[in-house]
This record gives sequence, C-alpha cells and structure tokens, in this order.
Amino acid sequence: MKYALLVAWREYAENAKTRGFWVGLFLFPLILFLSLEVPIFLEQRATPVRRFILVDPSGVLAPAIEAALEKSYQRQVLAALKEYARKNAAPLTNSAAARPAPALEDLNETDAQALDTFVAKGGMGFFLAQVQPRLRPGAPPFREPRRPFQQVKLPPGINPKADLASIAEALKPYLRHEKLLETDAGAVELAAAILIPPDFQNHLVRPQSSSAGGAARALGPAQQIQYWSANASDLRLRDEVQRAVNDEVRRREYLAHGLDAGLIQQVERTYIGLASLDPTKEKGREAVGTADIIRQWAPSGFVYLLWVAIFAVIQMLLTNTIEEKSNRIIEVLLSSVTPGELMMGKLIGIAAIGLTMVGAWVAALFGILSWKSAGAQEIASQVFLVLRTSNLVPLFALYFLLGYLMYAAFILSVGSVCNTLKEAQSYMAAMTLLLMVPLMTLAFIPKDPNGPLARVLSWIPLYTPFIMMNRATADPPLIDLVGTLVLLLATTVAALFMAGRIFRIGILRTGQPPKLLEMLRWALRR
Amino acid sequence: MGGGAALELRHVTKLFGAFKAVEDVSFSLGPGSICGFLGPNGAGKTTTIRMILEILKPNSGTIKVLGRPSALEVRNRLGYLPEEKGLYKKMKTWAVIAYFATLKGMGRKAARSRAFELLERYGLKEFAQKPTDALSKGMGQKVQILAAIAHDPELVILDEPFSGLDPVNQQVMEDLIRDLARRQRTVLFSTHVMEHAERLCQRILLIASGRLIFDGSMAEAKRTVPRRVRLETEDDIAPLRDLAEVSAVRSLPQADGQGSDQDERPCARWELELREDSDPQVILQTCFGRRIRLRSFNQTEPTLHEVFMRLVGPEAREVGFR
Repeated sequence: MKYALLVAWREYAENAKTRGFWVGLFLFPLILFLSLEVPIFLEQRATPVRRFILVDPSGVLAPAIEAALEKSYQRQVLAALKEYARKNAAPLTNSAAARPAPALEDLNETDAQALDTFVAKGGMGFFLAQVQPRLRPGAPPFREPRRPFQQVKLPPGINPKADLASIAEALKPYLRHEKLLETDAGAVELAAAILIPPDFQNHLVRPQSSSAGGAARALGPAQQIQYWSANASDLRLRDEVQRAVNDEVRRREYLAHGLDAGLIQQVERTYIGLASLDPTKEKGREAVGTADIIRQWAPSGFVYLLWVAIFAVIQMLLTNTIEEKSNRIIEVLLSSVTPGELMMGKLIGIAAIGLTMVGAWVAALFGILSWKSAGAQEIASQVFLVLRTSNLVPLFALYFLLGYLMYAAFILSVGSVCNTLKEAQSYMAAMTLLLMVPLMTLAFIPKDPNGPLARVLSWIPLYTPFIMMNRATADPPLIDLVGTLVLLLATTVAALFMAGRIFRIGILRTGQPPKLLEMLRWALRR
Repeated sequence: MGGGAALELRHVTKLFGAFKAVEDVSFSLGPGSICGFLGPNGAGKTTTIRMILEILKPNSGTIKVLGRPSALEVRNRLGYLPEEKGLYKKMKTWAVIAYFATLKGMGRKAARSRAFELLERYGLKEFAQKPTDALSKGMGQKVQILAAIAHDPELVILDEPFSGLDPVNQQVMEDLIRDLARRQRTVLFSTHVMEHAERLCQRILLIASGRLIFDGSMAEAKRTVPRRVRLETEDDIAPLRDLAEVSAVRSLPQADGQGSDQDERPCARWELELREDSDPQVILQTCFGRRIRLRSFNQTEPTLHEVFMRLVGPEAREVGFR
C-alpha cells in the first residue's frame, strides 16, 4: 500500500500541475458566475435601445401603442425599484411597523390595477422617496432602467402624408442600416418601422365576414399593419404592437356594440389565478414554488457536472497510463511496484485529482450562490436553499466516486493495451457513444423521474450514477435507490478486478492492441 | 556458489503460447561481479531479465535473487534499466530520479538530495530543474541510469546500457559499472556491442534461441574460437598445410600498395587456423626448418565479436522475437 500511495502522490502532484486541471477547476465556477451575471449585465447595459418609427395617418392606434409601451416600461421600473429596495434594505428595525399606505412591496407589477396605482401615485419619483428612509446607509443610487423601445420621428424629406408603400420604400435604407437617423441624441440606427394603413378599419378580420362567404380572406400587406425590421429574431416590439393594436381594436368593437368603456376596462382586468399543487407534499404546504421547480431540475445540473467531471478525469487517467506505456517507463515501475500497486496508485491519485476538482466546483457553487443570495438574488437563494436541504451534494460525491472507478476500470484496461492515444481512440469512441445516453436523457428524466424509462436506465450499472443522480430529488423507491447502488458497487468491483487482470497482461505488451473480446478473455481466464 | 549467489536461475523456461522464449536456462552470479549477457536479437535476453525482476513469471524453474525466491521481496535492493528507455516528459529531471528512488524505499528528502548529488556528479546539474523532455536522448538515458542506481542497489541489471550514448558517455557508463563492481555490487548487463563486454566482463553468458549456449569466463569464451596465425610470404606454404596443429588454411586477399615492386614475386597472405591447445611456435619453427621466408608473422587473439559470430552467427540471422 505504501508503494501505491507513492504512485498516487506522483499522479496527483503531476496532474495538479497540468493546464487541463486548472482550466477544469476554474471553468465551471466561471461559467456559473457568468451565467448569473451576464443576463443582468445584458439587461442593464448591453441591450441597445431599439428605435422605431410609427406612422398612423388615422391617429387611432398610435396612442394605444404608445400607452402600451409606456405601461410595460412602468412595469419594468416598478420591478426594478422593488428589487432595488429589497437589495439595499436596511436591517429590519421597528420602524417597519409604520408602513405607508400603498407600500411599494405590495404592488404586484403583473397586476394592471397595481401598475395604475404606481403610475397614479407618481411612479418612480414618489416611491423612490418612500423607500429612501428604509435603505441601508451607503446604498448606491437607483438606476432607472432604460427604455427598451424609443419612438423617433420620420426623417425630414419623407412625407408622412404619402402612401405607405412610398414611405416604406424611403425608409428601407434606414431599416437596412445603410443610413442613420439624425436625432437629438446623435445619429442612431432604425430598428423597426410600424406603418398602419389609414383605412385599417376596413380591413378588420371578423368571423363570418360578409365578402368571402365565411372563409378568411388572404390579406395583402396593404390591408395589414406593416412591421418592417431587418431583425426578424427579436419579436418583442412586434408582439407588444400586435397586442396593443388588437386590444384597442376589440375595445372599439365593444364600444361600437354599445358597451360601457368603464365596464370594458373592468372586464379586461378580471382574472383568476392558477396555483400549482404537489400531491406528495404535506397538507397545507402543497403549493409548488420556485424551490420545487429548482428541486426538480437541479439534479440535471449535477448530472451534467458528473458527466463532465468523470469524462475529464478518466481522460487524464488514460493519458497517463499511455504515457507510461509508450515511454516504456512501465518496466522500471514494474521492477519497483507490482501491477496491482501501480493500478491502485493511479486509481487513487486520479480519484484525488477528481475529488479536488469536484470539491472546488461544489465550493464555488456554494460560495457564488451564498454571495448572490446575500445580494437578494431570488434564483440564487432558492437554489442555495435546495442544495442545503437536499442530499444532492453527498449523492453527487458518491456517484462521482463510483462512476469514476467503474469507468476507470475500462480506461485502465484500454490504456494498458494501447501504445498511443491514437490506438486508444477507437475504444474511446465506443465508450463515448455509451456515455451519450445519460446526456440524451438528461432532460427527459426530471419530467418523469420515477417512470419506466428512468427506472430501466437506473438498473444499467453504466448509467446508474447519472440516472440516479437525476432522480435524486424525486424520492425514488427505496428498492431503486439501494438496489442500483448495490449493483453499481458490485459492477465496479468486478470491473476493477477484471481490469487488474487485463492491466497485468496488457501493460507489458507491445504491438497491435487486442480486440475487446480478447481482452475479455484475459479478464476471465483462470 | 549456492547460498552466496547474488542471482541464481535453475532450469528456467518461459513460454509465450507455444513459443519457447526461454528454455531451461540455469546460471548463477556471485556478488561483486560484472557479467555480460549477450545474444542476438530475440534470443530471450529481455524475457530472462523480466523474469529475474518478476515482471514475468517463468513457466517452470526457479529464480533466486539476492538469496530470495522472489525479486519483489528484495526489490529495494535491485536496480533496473530497461532496454527501451523513457521518462515522464513533463516531470523535472531531479524529480524523476527522486521518484524512482522513493519507489525503492528511500525517504523523500534523502531521494531528493541524492538526485541532485548524482546529477551534479554526472554533469547534468543544470538540467536538474528542467523537464525531462528538454534532455537529449543520450542525456535522458544517463538520467535513467542514475534513476536505476540512485538507491545504491546490490544487484544492478542493465538492458543495453550503452545504446544511444556517445563515445565519451559510453566511457562514463563503463566507469560507472566498474565502480559498482568495486563496491561489491553485482552487475548484469546485456549488450550488442562486444567491445564493451570485452572490456568490462569477467563473465559471459551467451543466449541464443532461448537457450544458454555459453557460460564462462572471458578467457574460456575466447578459447571456443580456434587460435589463428597470419603470415606473409613469397614461398610455397605446402609444408605448413601438413602440420597436425593446423586445422585450416585460408588465403587472404592482397593488401593494396604492399609489395608493389614489379620484379618481385607476388607476396601471398595466409591465415592458418590452429587446433585447440596447439602452440603457434610450432608454425614458426616449421617455417625456419623448411626455409619459408616470412615477411610478417603474427598470432591474433580472437575478439569477442568472433566468439559471438561463431557461436550464434547462423541463428542470429533468424527472425527475432521479442
């Protein structure tokens, strides 16, 4: 054992010096950090303001569109303000009892009436003043969100009274960004143009329309609202416009049918909520919250980590084994240690490397999440809660170790018979194919974690670590949990035993690597 | 020899499938000796060495290393340089030597200082902190040899220690081996270069096709080749052909630029092979007696090369197996 540990120590020390190890160590925390930071950054800064031109000769729809965009912006401001207040709140004091009447945190930005209250009370200015006394000292100033969409005027030289076709024609160079629009804020790109036909009222599509005997007519662009944009993938403005225009058209229809405007508004704001409930939870706490969704999907994240970690680490094992073999270091080693000690040493050394990497990942996960949730980032604190209250991390460590040992057995067998990485590639290709299955099922398992697919795959030892990891928070039947673990353990032990035999024979062989079947024969020969 | 032998093989046979790589090999080495292990490619040298080190197990026969039935028991007292040499490319030179020394039971600190000491003594000090892939092939090999002897082993087995070394370093290697023997270490080395064996060995083992075909001292080895006498004369050498001591006579080609005078009779060169235990003086006496005028006469000691060619020449041409 002393010799195995000496080998293990060298494996650890040498691999810890490789670039690959450090890249692996920092890549995951970096990705995690960026995946939390980049969306915020993009939202705050990087998304450019989209400028659009709105031409509505009828003057009917333009105010509706403008109002809708303003409303959605106010919703954004309200949300940002609430987030700001929560993030920078002073530690709770008794003054919390004296809450002003429409308290900011009571306003739900998805509720139309609450949004109206927000705007009616004076919007940002009013509520900023309201929260100011309750902020912790040294809180940064509130940064007003930028308007995602900004209306600009038609460039001079284009007659707003002209027909839509010629306006569109004149705007095309701007829409193609060949020309820039001159505005007060300098030259800007034009993102979109919305052209509304003056006689749009004549082109409304109604059920059982008179002219075409029931079937909807195919409308040309001239009879529709035209949304011109070179960017076909960003549909946010288009969707806002479509919703605003159709709400306005329907409101007008109601009015035309004699309904009361106040009544219409009331009807429009009537809704019923929908609660997701989980029958497996105890009575009174059945509500499905964010934490439950995270609980369902967090294991998939761990499966992915498990997969990457196992793959990275066995790759190291393969490289090292082949280095010793191709450099013929193996013979010197074998005059000092037995093949068994050598194999054991390599297994332990690389396992230690893997555990270091995985440990760093988990530590980074906890570190980043606790830092983020201290900053009141909703999702981070929820994930953090799930991690602390579930067995995800211990299971991850267990499945990593067992999965690694099982695949390492295969890798050591392959490494011992191959003289170059190239020779090993054909074996590795087979293994990679086998390893694709847990990745492909990654997204299906959480949807039905105790379904037949999940259960069957769990009982295939090659996939047990990945599939059972994926089912970790779904309370799988005990027989699955324990049974697959026992089977996995037995398979790992058998695989290592067989690998030991193959290793002993293969490690001194030169020349062509043998067929898999022949290796199997070595493993089983008495 | 028996109990005191550093190495003892008895009727060792190794089969690879139906192929007999090593067949019924027996020999033993006393402590403090240098023994050359010679044989053509594929003769079974490396297989024998691997069996001695217990990397391979013989099918039959017994091997005793430093008095023990298993090399593993005494592995810390063995040093081994394999035929095909390699080092961990990314490891620092001193660290490689120290690592192998720790695998031989040395403490980490002792191994480290020993590595630096050896590198300095053998002129590789400036490479100590460099990764081994910065070394040339010959330097790498030197490092490997140092790694093999860093723990001061009692029995050192060197498989082709000279290959890849330049003449200066070959000399260094020879000195290193002699030094080991002086300190009562036993050295067994294989080589294809007979000159090294000739200079270093008291003892020769010759293996061909898996069988040990010669085991004895250098002098005994040379006696297996008939002694030869070379002479140059203008006269007829017929009287010499009839001598009982002479077993064969060969005419040698005329050396260029010798005896080139036009009027002189051509001067012939001959090589005479003598029977075992015969005295070359008899030839000289016969020449005087029969008035054969000699222009030159010399008796040559056979080289180990000739011994090798004579004993294994035909087999060496067979396709080897490793």
